[in-house]
Amino acid sequence: MKILVATEQRQGKWNNTSFETLVAAQQIAAAASGTVTAAVVGKSVGVLAEELAGKNVTEVLVVEHELLENYTPDAYCKALQQVIESSKPDLVLFPHTYQVRDFAPKLAAMQGKGMIGDCVGFRKEGDKLVFVRQMFQGKTAADVTFVGTPPWFASFQSGAFRSDLLEARAGGKAPVSVAKVELKAEEIRTKPLELFKEAKSAVDLTQAPLIVAIGRGIKAPENIAQAEAVAKALGAEIAASRPICDEGWLPMERQIGSSGQTVAPKLYLALGISGAIQHVVGMKASRTIVAVNKDQNAPIFEIADYGIVGDIFELMPVLTEELQKARG
Amino acid sequence: MAVQREQLEADVLIVGAGPAGLACALHLANLIKKHNASGAKPELSTENIYVLEKGREIGAHQLSGAILNPKALAELVADFEKSAPLDTPVTDSALLLFTHKSSYRAPITPPPFKNNGNFVISLSRLVKWMGGLVEATGVNVFKEFGGAELIYEGSGIAGVITEDKGLDKNGKPKANYTPGYELRAKVTVLAEGPRGSLTKQLVAKQKLENTNPQTYGIGIKELWDVQPGKIKPGYVAHTMGWPLPTSMYGGGWIYGLSNNRVSLGLVVALEYHDPRFDPHAAFQTWKTHPFVRDLLDGGKLVRYGAKSLPYGGWYAMPRNYVDGGLIVGDSGGFLNSQRLKGVHLAMKSGMLAAETILEALKSGDTSAKALSLYKQKIDQSYIREELWRVRNFHQAFHNGPFDGLVLTALQEISGGRGIIDPMHSQPGYEAYNQIHGRPAPERFKGDGQLTFDRLTDVYHSGTRHDEDQPCHLKVLDLNICATRCAEEYGNPCQYFCPAAVYEMNREGEHLKLKINFANCVHCKTCDIADPYQIIDWTVPEGGGGPNYEGM
Amino acid sequence: MNIIVCIKQVPAKDAPLSMAGNWIKESDIGFEMNEPDSYALEEALRLKEKHGGEVVVLSLGPERVKQTIKEALAKGADRGIHVADDQFAQLDPLGAANVLAAAIGKEKCDLVLTGLQSDDHGFGQTGVLLAALLKLPHATIIMQIDVQDGKMKLKRELEAGWFQWIECPLPAVLSIQSGINKVRYATLKGIMAAKKKEIVTITRESLGVALEPTEKIEKIYVPTKTKKTEFLTGTPKEAAAKLVEKLKFEARVI
Repeated sequence: MKILVATEQRQGKWNNTSFETLVAAQQIAAAASGTVTAAVVGKSVGVLAEELAGKNVTEVLVVEHELLENYTPDAYCKALQQVIESSKPDLVLFPHTYQVRDFAPKLAAMQGKGMIGDCVGFRKEGDKLVFVRQMFQGKTAADVTFVGTPPWFASFQSGAFRSDLLEARAGGKAPVSVAKVELKAEEIRTKPLELFKEAKSAVDLTQAPLIVAIGRGIKAPENIAQAEAVAKALGAEIAASRPICDEGWLPMERQIGSSGQTVAPKLYLALGISGAIQHVVGMKASRTIVAVNKDQNAPIFEIADYGIVGDIFELMPVLTEELQKARG
Repeated sequence: MAVQREQLEADVLIVGAGPAGLACALHLANLIKKHNASGAKPELSTENIYVLEKGREIGAHQLSGAILNPKALAELVADFEKSAPLDTPVTDSALLLFTHKSSYRAPITPPPFKNNGNFVISLSRLVKWMGGLVEATGVNVFKEFGGAELIYEGSGIAGVITEDKGLDKNGKPKANYTPGYELRAKVTVLAEGPRGSLTKQLVAKQKLENTNPQTYGIGIKELWDVQPGKIKPGYVAHTMGWPLPTSMYGGGWIYGLSNNRVSLGLVVALEYHDPRFDPHAAFQTWKTHPFVRDLLDGGKLVRYGAKSLPYGGWYAMPRNYVDGGLIVGDSGGFLNSQRLKGVHLAMKSGMLAAETILEALKSGDTSAKALSLYKQKIDQSYIREELWRVRNFHQAFHNGPFDGLVLTALQEISGGRGIIDPMHSQPGYEAYNQIHGRPAPERFKGDGQLTFDRLTDVYHSGTRHDEDQPCHLKVLDLNICATRCAEEYGNPCQYFCPAAVYEMNREGEHLKLKINFANCVHCKTCDIADPYQIIDWTVPEGGGGPNYEGM
Repeated sequence: MNIIVCIKQVPAKDAPLSMAGNWIKESDIGFEMNEPDSYALEEALRLKEKHGGEVVVLSLGPERVKQTIKEALAKGADRGIHVADDQFAQLDPLGAANVLAAAIGKEKCDLVLTGLQSDDHGFGQTGVLLAALLKLPHATIIMQIDVQDGKMKLKRELEAGWFQWIECPLPAVLSIQSGINKVRYATLKGIMAAKKKEIVTITRESLGVALEPTEKIEKIYVPTKTKKTEFLTGTPKEAAAKLVEKLKFEARVI
């Protein structure tokens, strides 16, 4: 099985979930006796290609063109279309980024194929590949398979695979070749303008990879600063169960639960949250759940991977310290 | 705040799309069609009939056991047996006496508990179906709109003002702020269900109260899917005894629906003496009785809900006609408290209101005098026949079950008169004994499988409110909560609310009331049962509230 | 501006889900307009208020879907198209997009709007696929639309607080980010007027779209937690240290 991974970079900087996708590709290749071709798309991406060549991939493709310098769906689709035609992969994988959401389904449709997007994992059942994704906002999982002949297209959710598991290449570097693509300016219908950062009026917790959430156990708004210190040390977003937002101690957009956001981050640290079902439905799909509560019978412990029965006010300061030490 | 409100006019405005409101709308639409077909003048339009429903959908706020006596439905819809969603005919009616460990079935089921010819139904499904019939006639049913205020005129009403939408939790307009409408109508029908918020205001303002104040019970219900073979569809049981003390009026029910679905619950009269009695906890405890535990073993909770019911009977029914207004259904107290049935009477009251309204629209006279035809029709119908016979029923139990059984037996043989007629009663909230410093009981936790805490149950009620809106539960004097009520009664709101809306939290030296209004299931218990009568339930933004699909 | 808004009807957010193979049991649950689509609808209504034209609502599914179309009409959409299909839940994203594209192809429109994704399947591909099938330019995760001289300037959301302006010609397909606007309430007059607005029903078959799935949902299920909770004991400092170690080396999240 030939697997093509379309990595993502912008202005010479990686979108790091690309490495997670390479890990996924390596694992699928191992399970299905396949090869992994890593493609990097853009302009002047030679340095990035060299980096990929040091990983355990079969080959690296440089997809370069003037018109690929700034992302547009038309240019990326047309370029990758040509890569698919020349490279003939069986499976094309992407990291499920905002950018991928913008063009990958179209790329698949151009081949008359569907895409299974936002997968959280895969299984091999006999000679079939089964992709697992979430449905109903994380309340259920779904097994999805491809129908028909390759090429097949799939994207993996951020955090579904661990980028630190990316194997380095054993001996030497993978061959790097240039995939020739032809693009015409008039084929590109949208014009990308300036990029800018904005103090977002609303925080999108669904995109946060790490979340520290507080519940009633925090007792008073003055104490939230301690939780925020933990969040800062962790590099996480702060969130809360409904009662906290009800009181106005944190804005409503920070609320997790059936009447707030539903999230599935890599890490959910619940401080002083009892685990009422209204809250749990909003976060139980989180990959790793840590709960701290002084009640050992708090329902939150039923879904936690790691639990600490104790006083959050004693734990938060020392946890902040330990995290600062660990993350340097 | 001087708000600019858009004004609309209708011939008839019905507040509430429950069995009474929809029966009124449907019957009126049919009457209008016949009227127009006969060429009589003035010509009327079904499109000038507006129905307001505060729920997200028709049926969303409908909760009852329920056992339906189909007699009113048969009059309303010709082929109801084929078209109505009647789940299953009643096949067996049992009266069970529960003790702590056992249950005894009464060898002969007393007549009030018999149900020949009746159906076990989901009231929500029935009402949803009725709603479809109503909408097909051209009547306008507005979902997600509640009646917030009455428009008073003369000694009656001229319409309602719907709730303001798009206010934030501090009452400030949001970007999509839409003020409520001023909806005027020639006749306004209040069909709000038990303890209607507009009805409460109208009864107080126009002094419509009867000999007795209205008294209420609270019904707490769960819908379960059970293992096959546990219960037969159409099996109906009412339970008495454990775990309720003999001083408390109430009991449980278990109804078998089709497809291994069971409706079960506990009803308790809101006139008990211990202000810290927790009806929800009593219901959960009742489920641990071996009879119920066995039934639910291996089963799954599907839905939860709670609602109040008007127990007062004939002498507690308010005057139900004013200039430009009529009261139907549970808002008017049309419930047979002996048989615990009110759906058919609600429907019949709606139909009689419709007939009255037709005459009023024809003559152009919508005064109280003209609308008093409604009362005449009620008096001549089976509503009176049924309710008159049990007019003193509930009041007979004021001194406990033994007195009650004796008195009601005497009532039975004297056509309802009994020894004293009318038997007077007090409002339920006057029955509380003060706590005199007794420590607070431990709260019920639930095991998460058979029994549940309130928060988990509330989750299964599908209740939702936009949290960025003003709190719809108005407490008129918060000082009383933290001081007098805490001392005298221990803040019963924390205990009687089946949705864990009210909490008293200690903040340093003081107690502070916290209202989690988003949990509210619109049962009205707080409005009814608070000892100082300072809780005013008002309509939240339309669409909010429980989702009683299948209930 | 003639705008078509694709709206999906999905199970109500709080509906208890009962699995049934590769879909859920539909009895006794409520349905509602997919919340992300309600933002797309609101955006369409605002564009119409600003630039004139017509807003058409398009929805695919069984008969109950008409209720959601009516809600859109009550908010101000001009007419509705219901593509009737009882098997809609079995359509994969490309299949559904093919059907919608065929229906859109019969209309003259300047702009097609969709929400970002549906709250049930959550594939999030419909907008992009429609653009591919209709051969129109597109952009996704749009936070702002400014129309001038037959062109659009769009604000697109990126990760980590970044945004980008894009110029896009008309006609085009856009998928709208939730929270772009505050959704309006249906007015009483709007609800009454909706009764008189047209909803055309067409079948998938009449559009000549064959069912050729490219992917298949084999089954849906509630993911069960296999791991037991590991309790970390000791003094707060010890527990904290253990936790950080676990997070670093076991869970690998830091």
